[in-house]
Amino acid sequence: MGSLLRKATTYDVLREHGIDRRRFVKFCTMMAAAMGLEATVVPQIVEALETKPRLPVIWLHGLECTCCSESFIRSSHPIAQDVILNMISLDYDDTLMAAAGFQAEENRKRIMKDYAGQYVLAVEGNAPTADGGVYCTVGGETFLSILQETAENAKAVIAWGSCASNGCVQAAKPNPTGAKPVHKLISHKAIVNVPGCPPIAEVMTGVLTYILTFGALPELDRYGRPKMFYGQRIHDKCYRRSFFDAGQFVESWDDDGAKKGWCLYKMGCRGPTTYNSCPTFKWNNGVSYPIGSGHGCIGCSEENFWDNGPFYERLTSIPVPGIESTPNEIGTVAAGAAMVGVGLHFISSMARRATQKKEEAPDKEGR
Amino acid sequence: MATRVVVDPVTRIEGHLRVEAMLDERGVIKDAMSSGTMWRGLEVILKGRDPRDAWAFCERICGVCTTVHALASVRAVENALDVKVPPNAEIIRNIMFLTQQVQDHVIHFYHLHALDWVDIVSALKADPAATSALAQKVSPSWPLASTGYFKDLAGTLKKFVDSGQLGLFQNAYWGHPAYKLPPEANLMAVAHYLEALKWQKEIIKIHTIFGGKNPHPNYLVGGMASAISMQSDNAINMERLNYVKGLIQDAMQVVENMYIPDLLAVASFYTDWAAIGGGLGNYMSYGDIPQNGIGDVSQFRMPRGVILNKNLSEVLPLDLTDAGQVQEEVAHSWYEYPEGKGALHPWDGVTVPKYSGPKPPYKQLDENAKYSWLKAPRWKGNAMEVGPLARMLVGFASGKTEYKDVVTEALGALKVPATALFSTLGRTAARGLETKLCVHWLMAEYDKLIANLKAGDSATADTARWEPSTWPAEAKGYGFTEAPRGALAHWIHIKNAKIENYQIVVPSTWNASPKDSKGQHGAYESALLNTPLADPKRPLEILRTIHSFDPCLACASH
Amino acid sequence: MSTAVPEFDPQEIALHPEDYFRRQLVWQLPVRITHWVNAACLIVLFLTGLYISHPLLAPSGEAVRHFVMGRVRQIHFVAAMIFTVSFLARIYWFWMGNAYSRSGFPYVWRPEWWKDLFRQGTDYLRLERGHAHLGHNSLGGVAYTLFVIFLGWCQIFTGMAMYSESNPGGFLNRVFGWVLPLLGGSFTTRMWHHAFAWGFVVFAILHVYIILYDSTQYGNGLITSIISGYKFYQKGDFKED
Ligand code: HEM
Ligand code: HEM
Ligand code: NFV
Ligand code: SF4
Ligand code: SF4
Ligand code: F3S
Ligand SMILES: [Mg+2]
Repeated sequence: MGSLLRKATTYDVLREHGIDRRRFVKFCTMMAAAMGLEATVVPQIVEALETKPRLPVIWLHGLECTCCSESFIRSSHPIAQDVILNMISLDYDDTLMAAAGFQAEENRKRIMKDYAGQYVLAVEGNAPTADGGVYCTVGGETFLSILQETAENAKAVIAWGSCASNGCVQAAKPNPTGAKPVHKLISHKAIVNVPGCPPIAEVMTGVLTYILTFGALPELDRYGRPKMFYGQRIHDKCYRRSFFDAGQFVESWDDDGAKKGWCLYKMGCRGPTTYNSCPTFKWNNGVSYPIGSGHGCIGCSEENFWDNGPFYERLTSIPVPGIESTPNEIGTVAAGAAMVGVGLHFISSMARRATQKKEEAPDKEGR
Repeated sequence: MATRVVVDPVTRIEGHLRVEAMLDERGVIKDAMSSGTMWRGLEVILKGRDPRDAWAFCERICGVCTTVHALASVRAVENALDVKVPPNAEIIRNIMFLTQQVQDHVIHFYHLHALDWVDIVSALKADPAATSALAQKVSPSWPLASTGYFKDLAGTLKKFVDSGQLGLFQNAYWGHPAYKLPPEANLMAVAHYLEALKWQKEIIKIHTIFGGKNPHPNYLVGGMASAISMQSDNAINMERLNYVKGLIQDAMQVVENMYIPDLLAVASFYTDWAAIGGGLGNYMSYGDIPQNGIGDVSQFRMPRGVILNKNLSEVLPLDLTDAGQVQEEVAHSWYEYPEGKGALHPWDGVTVPKYSGPKPPYKQLDENAKYSWLKAPRWKGNAMEVGPLARMLVGFASGKTEYKDVVTEALGALKVPATALFSTLGRTAARGLETKLCVHWLMAEYDKLIANLKAGDSATADTARWEPSTWPAEAKGYGFTEAPRGALAHWIHIKNAKIENYQIVVPSTWNASPKDSKGQHGAYESALLNTPLADPKRPLEILRTIHSFDPCLACASH
Repeated sequence: MSTAVPEFDPQEIALHPEDYFRRQLVWQLPVRITHWVNAACLIVLFLTGLYISHPLLAPSGEAVRHFVMGRVRQIHFVAAMIFTVSFLARIYWFWMGNAYSRSGFPYVWRPEWWKDLFRQGTDYLRLERGHAHLGHNSLGGVAYTLFVIFLGWCQIFTGMAMYSESNPGGFLNRVFGWVLPLLGGSFTTRMWHHAFAWGFVVFAILHVYIILYDSTQYGNGLITSIISGYKFYQKGDFKED
């Protein structure tokens, strides 16, 4: 159905939407601003959206909770409708697609063939690797094999959320299904990690827009995350930072400090060790973010954040298997042991000196 | 011989569901199998952790019904530790709960279920002027109904289809004989699909205000972390509360002037589905929306109870702590129970995975062996259906006037008898009717919050039992809620301030469960029986009935 | 000639046989300065570090009027920078100083080093005076290498990595940033930094006690040596004597 000869560009579709060129350019400018890009790239975005057909996207779901998809549809600039109808062609997505069963799988296979090397593979969730991958199957095949097969001819891979980028909750100890993040299962592919549980909607659409505009992945940091969204710690942009520096902390839930919006550091806030855009973009179109609503950050975009708990403690056990003590517990035991050792040595040396004196004493008397 | 129809993946749901249906010669479903094909092991992962953290782990069971697991979890811990949350915290939780209910139901109707009834391709043939007339007739107060509006939309749709990149709409069952809406109704539905997509991100801001983000807002054992202070620009204050109120008002518009009219309009074309997909006839609701603390079941807005064999004249009591009532079996599930154990109450629950299905890639599962990652929960040995329909029926049968009114009104509008409720259509309609109740309760809970604040109470958390040093060496608790998809409960066993055992029994576990040791089907399986398929290669009818439950498989198998 | 385990040159003693007690400059000025700078920094770092981890003071009123946590962190960072410089200076002096400045090095491939380690250990355990040293004995060498050099590097790398986080892409971040992923992220890096901090406490306890013990046992003026630089030895301490 429909002609495959002519593919509408984003601009075409927007124009059909009754959006004129001036508003279209404004749309591009806003998008650039949202991505933290210089105004000079706006013409490039305009050109990309005017001339490029919609980017084919295959969106796979593995071991996950679908909240990344839910976050995605909450995007405000651009709104999800514009992304799905005008910017990308979401050709496969179990959660939203109309087709089901083998017809759905047909869609995936067709895109893999017709758009080899051109489609983007977006992965939500990760793959279980234990016991032959039986903990997640789709259409009778393991998700692991589907993931690897679909990545084969992808132009790039987007790892949505902490599941796909870091493993997330199912990979928390003892990781009963052997869940592994995408970058540990796919090699020789450009992969962009977009961590967060879930990631912020505008970060997700921002990454897609960037890829669509520039035909390449954004600049990545050491963890394969786009620098423009994960370059800074929550703590360094947090509006409660002045309370942190002042030393004004919430000491217990709903206390006076909590009502005044003081720093949540002592309630276990992971802002000082977490990289994400929450304080700048905020959530759900700038309404708030975890700290803004009185709960500490739990570090949901960081590797292994589930195993860095308890979330309400500042100090948790040091990351050595078998050790379940905090640095302070270990430290006080070690220092205590040193004190005891020193004490024992001191006592025995005093005792020794006393006996030596006794031995010497008759000698002296005999002289 | 019988043909076997396999639908895998079942799409437009959350998670990984496989359905196999066995048809007789006439194409009627004679046996059906519902299989959850993923498992993550949350119950195993939770062991040994801090009970105060459990809500965050549990919340990640599902991002679609996000918050309900967090809610059940904090309630379970509070129950174990005997913590009573302050009234404000209870009201805020009710507001967040109702927000979730409303948002999730609307998304389900428009984005997950609608395409079972709405043929997008047929919408191309619609006349914008006629669509406008239809829209104004269906809902006189909904503003977006001009000819120009529908003309723009028709143009967009055409351009989209002509582009050749059909995206999400590629290769579905368009043109299937079971689609009955006229083109104009289809076009209107497409318009509202997009309107609902835009609106769902607004209503959910209520979660963001109180919980900091959505999906996965924050909860807290003992109350809520969002402190309230009218004197502060750094807490829940008047500006935030007004924001919430505005969002609730918008939600009322959407539900009353878009969702409910659409639902009734679509349903009126499909009254034949009031006789299909009934299934078990056993319904259960744990109840929720406490008005006087979670311990006072009699004061819930959503009542608790059990209905067996469609008998609306009797609502049976239920007790989540009774070892003989809620139990889980694994006769057809890929788990192992200790020697000699057949059914376990969740406090004694065991989660040890043991896959014994065919080696992937496989073509079919064996209905006589184990075939799902879902356990099979049963109430006093009965398979139960849970969800909006169960809640409406329990409310209706309990004689609650709010429930009686909406149900009677809808039955009258559709000119169908009360028995029509026991069906696929009944399930879909009940969800809409419940949403209507929920938006009103949302405003009522908001007003309660304001009244409580006016009375000078701004407490949001009780921290007397925050420190583990104040806890008993051992404690057991349970927490429940009525999630969008139905009755949800978590059972926790705390020992030495750590989680000793944690068991989760989820609405979709009840509904999508495999058979039990007695061979009793779960609700999905049972609802599929006796459904005729017009075209076994395009089993639209299976999708309709399965979708009417709003499946969530990440929830179901966790 | 500088030897690995520097024992006092017997020829020196042979030149002045009449002297029963000998005084010898062991710790050159840079060693003494870095010793006290390091010791002071470590005390400040440990205390401010603990404070950062568990801030106690709770000033009331407007946030702009206070800078308690910020000040403690500033002190921690200033001490950290001084410590780092002093630490590096001491390492530089390892090569540039006299033989004793190198005496801490664990020469694990030399049998004599192991013999000395064993002998010193048993001397301490049997509470006997035993063999005298002017530089570090093998046991002290192990302690300094593990507790000071190794932990010092650990703290500097983890600390600098954390410090660099507030200026992503900056110089320090480029030099030390790799530590964070290596240790499993920013949070776990912080836990390690905190755990390592206790290593210095354990060292300080053992160190100060051994100094006191050694000093009385051998009568070698060890305590004052780290101020004056001079250690004493008794006639007969060195067997060629
Ligand atoms: C009562 C205070 C102290 C005294 C009298 C003292 C004395 C000494 C002496 C005599 C030495 C030479 C040791 C030997 O020959 O084995 C030494 C070395 C050392 N001390 Fe201390 N010390 C004191 C406190 C500390 C503290 C608190 C620290 C740091 C935690 C420290 C760190 C070191 C280090 C790192 C060395 C090796 C020095 C080098 O070779 O550069 N000292 N100290
Ligand atoms: C060598 C001895 C040192 C000790 C004993 C020490 C101790 C500590 C301790 C106990 C903490 C608190 C950790 C927590 O939050 O639980 C800390 C924090 C920190 N230390 Fe150190 N530290 C040392 C050296 C350094 C060095 C060389 C640096 C380099 C700049 C450094 C930088 C930091 C930073 C950046 C923090 C985090 C402060 C914050 O984010 O507020 N430390 N230190
Ligand atoms: N089933 C289920 Fe949920 C719901 N509603 C949870 O309790 O969806 Ni994900
Ligand atoms: S990253 Fe978090 S939010 Fe996204 S799918 Fe995984 S668990 Fe859900
Ligand atoms: S609330 Fe958290 S992120 Fe914000 S300043 Fe305090 S510790 Fe840092
Ligand atoms: S918990 Fe996650 S949402 Fe942001 S504030 Fe922390 S990274
Ligand atoms: Mg369970």
